Amino acid sequence: MNPDTGTNSRPCADACGTMPACAPLAVPYVPFQQRGSQKYNQADALANGTVFPGLNLPFHMKADAAGLPDNHSTQLQALLFVVTELGLYLDTHRDDVEAFQLFKQYTTMAREAKQRYEEMHGPLTQLAAGQDEAYRWLDDPWPWEFKKGD
Amino acid sequence: MFVYEKKLQYPVRIKNCNPKLASVIISQYGGPDGELGASLRYLSQRYAMPYPELKGLLTDIGTEELGHLEMVGTLVHQLTRNLSEDQIKTAGFDTYFVDHTTGVYPQFASGYPWSASTMQVTGDVIADLTEDLAADGAMA
Repeated sequence: MNPDTGTNSRPCADACGTMPACAPLAVPYVPFQQRGSQKYNQADALANGTVFPGLNLPFHMKADAAGLPDNHSTQLQALLFVVTELGLYLDTHRDDVEAFQLFKQYTTMAREAKQRYEEMHGPLTQLAAGQDEAYRWLDDPWPWEFKKGD
Repeated sequence: MFVYEKKLQYPVRIKNCNPKLASVIISQYGGPDGELGASLRYLSQRYAMPYPELKGLLTDIGTEELGHLEMVGTLVHQLTRNLSEDQIKTAGFDTYFVDHTTGVYPQFASGYPWSASTMQVTGDVIADLTEDLAADGAMA
C-alpha cells in the first residue's frame, strides 16, 4: 500500500524482503576492454603508465613529468613495459591475433634491447652473469642507487 | 619461481633528500594498500582461481607489483640517504629513524608494521576479485 495515496500503484514496491523486480538498488559494471584499442608507442606507454590511451586516467593535479632520458636503460624499460602491458591484455584476450602479433614484435625488440644493455652495463640476471669472462653481478650500480653525475 | 632482473621497471633518480616525504611514501611500501600487500594478495589468491585467465592475471599482476615494491623502496631510500643531523630530526621522520635509521621497513605511514590483516584470501572468485578492486582502486 502506498501511504500517500492509499493505492498499490507504486511500480517498484518492495515486498517480503525481496528485491523489487524492476529496480535493483545498484548494478556495478566494469566495461570489458574491447579489441582493436589504440596503443601508445613504447616511450609514451612508459611515460603514461599504460599502453592503452583508453585506460589512461591521469592523476588529479598531475605534475608534468620531466621527459625521460633516451638511453639503453629507458629504451629497455619502455619495451619491457609494453611486453608486460600487452601480456596482461592477452591474459584476458588470448584470441586477439592482432594483439598477439604486436606482442611478438615487442618481445623480439625487448630481447635485442636486453642484449645491447647487458653488453654495455653488465648482466641483468644470474643466467646472463654466467656468460661473462668474470663475475660482474656485484658491479655497481644496483637498481636503487645511481652514481653522481649519471 | 622468481628470477631477479637487476633493473627498475621505471627510472627513479632523486637528487634531493626529503625525509618528510619519505615518511608518507613509506605507506605505499608497507601500508594497508601498499605494494607489498598488493603482491602478496594477488600471488596468494591465485591458487583458488579456477579460470586460466585469472591464474595468468593474478600471477602476472602479482609479479609486477613486486617490481612496484622495489620502485617505492628505491624512492624511500633515495629520499633519506645522506641526511644531515637536522634532517634526521624532521617531524614525522624522527620516530621512524629511531627504530629503523635509514633502512626501508614495510610499515604504514602511522608507524604500524605491515600486516596481513589488511588483505584477504577467501578462496571465492567473486569475493577475492571484489577485494582486489577495493584495494588496488585506492592506490594502484
